[in-house]
Amino acid sequence: MPAGIAATAVYVVFVGLPVLALLVRAAQQESFAGSLTSDLAQQALRLSLFTSLISLLVMVLLGTPFAYLLARSHSRILRVMDSLVELPIVLPPVVAGIAMLMAFGRHGLVGPALTGLGITLPFTTTAVIFAQVFVAAPFYIRAAKLGFQSVARDYEDVSQTLGVSPWRTFWKLTLPLAAPSIIGGLALAWARAISEFGATIMFAGNLTGRTQTMPLAILSAMESDLGAALSLSVLLLIGSLTVLLVLGMFTRRQWLGRL
Amino acid sequence: MTRGWVRCQLGEFSLETEWEAAPGQVLILFGPSGAGKTTTLRAIAGLVRPLQGHIEVGGQVVYDSQSRSWVPPHRRRVGYLTQQVNLFPHLSVIGNLRYGLAKRGLASRSATGYPLPMERLLQNLQLEGLEERRVWELSGGQQQRVALARALATDPQVLLLDEPFSSLDAELRRALRDEVRSILSRANIPVILVTHDRDEALAMGDVIQVIDRGRTLSRGEPLQVLGQPGQARVARLVGVENILAMRVASRHPQDGTMVCVSREGPTGPEAGLHLEVPLSDLAEGQPVTVGIRASDIILAGEKLVSSSARNQIRGKVVGVELRPPGYEVTLDCAGIQFHCHITGTSLSEMKVAAGLDLWAVFKASSCFLVKEDPVLIVQQ
Repeated sequence: MPAGIAATAVYVVFVGLPVLALLVRAAQQESFAGSLTSDLAQQALRLSLFTSLISLLVMVLLGTPFAYLLARSHSRILRVMDSLVELPIVLPPVVAGIAMLMAFGRHGLVGPALTGLGITLPFTTTAVIFAQVFVAAPFYIRAAKLGFQSVARDYEDVSQTLGVSPWRTFWKLTLPLAAPSIIGGLALAWARAISEFGATIMFAGNLTGRTQTMPLAILSAMESDLGAALSLSVLLLIGSLTVLLVLGMFTRRQWLGRL
Repeated sequence: MTRGWVRCQLGEFSLETEWEAAPGQVLILFGPSGAGKTTTLRAIAGLVRPLQGHIEVGGQVVYDSQSRSWVPPHRRRVGYLTQQVNLFPHLSVIGNLRYGLAKRGLASRSATGYPLPMERLLQNLQLEGLEERRVWELSGGQQQRVALARALATDPQVLLLDEPFSSLDAELRRALRDEVRSILSRANIPVILVTHDRDEALAMGDVIQVIDRGRTLSRGEPLQVLGQPGQARVARLVGVENILAMRVASRHPQDGTMVCVSREGPTGPEAGLHLEVPLSDLAEGQPVTVGIRASDIILAGEKLVSSSARNQIRGKVVGVELRPPGYEVTLDCAGIQFHCHITGTSLSEMKVAAGLDLWAVFKASSCFLVKEDPVLIVQQ
């Protein structure tokens, strides 16, 4: 027990102190709001919100049907994909960035073909979204898959015998029952997307207003304007805390564990 | 009315079955687990796609392999109820009941605001006052009632019940069974009930169909099929406690009986177990299999001096086992074991214990002859 308490105390100080320091230093600034309204901060903030929300939309549109398939199908190909889908979680983001350059870059695998169509991806806002989806989607897909798996197939069978088509069964039954998991996954994926750094800087670069999201802006601001860096950091911290709050709220539905 | 036949293949398991049930009739599909009962129900509901077959529900062909017609489950109008009640946990009781009704017109409403048929359902299934409850707050019996009400609310043309009461305790099961029986007779739709519980089959069934390893073995009145089944395989499936391999020793047409002697145990002119059983057209010396239900045997401390029962056999108690609601006493009679059911009161009054000498008494008509089915010998 004493060892446990000591370890806990050390760990809490280890994590808590930097967070506290960030808040204290940000509060000591002359104008917290002022540095947030600087052009650099404003543009980064807007770009981060815009790209992360688009990324989220893409993840939902692509990831939800995929997750449902993973949860329901027993095909061997899907089983293999199921284990590979989490690769981007363990892959260093910088590697993901290089990989995307090798695919979509000017000299990449499909880059020349895209150029032929008049499409350029690297170092654009679209590239930022690509990077975010690449690294964050597995968090959403994994959570959504677990959510769908928690809804026994018997429920869907019963729903159909009650005269509800498979499509409407999905919306009326499966999705609401999987919702806590799905919302949790969305929160995690959003947090991961908005904090994306490595893949973005490799594949999209650090162009103010176009590809410079908040984490990149913090890096740039550190060289010139510590105040702006601190303010943006505090903002991201608040966002992260919100995500934790959302996770806590939605993973504690009354009927969980009663399926 | 529902009827049809299907051939299904699930991995190694092949199922070939046919059925027919009229409105107001309860058809029992009886058999051990893995016999194909559930698959048959799921095929009727459209949740399993057969290889071949023809299925009618409410006079409509919902599946026919020849004309390649297939009606998806949600358009088949079947009510499907399983052991797992599968109530939707994100909805209240009334939310569950209304689940399948979203698209239907809810024209006539009662004073409480529910459509009239719904009101009646709530009443019939004793669910009034529970409408707004969360489903997991209900007891097991209430949950099963809600599930039944939900199935009936969509006005199905056939009700498929897959061991719906087996997760409930015995008393509740009996009560709910009677309740459901009366509701079903009012609903006037065919019902197919899957069970491996004899009492349930006897209490609920109009017709019983015994299924084993994907094949129908027998079909008929529950009392007949379960009481004195004609086939050895069926007798074993329905749990006839005493099945004896014997040989016809002498025929007594004037009494309508014949005496059989056991094929097992000690041999010799006086040895072996002799039983008087109903007459059949078997000749002397031919083998015969005799079944006797444990509940048809009376245990007596002494030989009855004057009795109409044609069979009185002396034996020694070799085992007493709890078999709710009573006990099963095993007697060793000339090397052959007899199983008899008695109540707890009889057990204690007669001081039955291992080693005690008792007489097993039963009428010739309690013995029934079962046909050894050659199919049984098929090697697996």
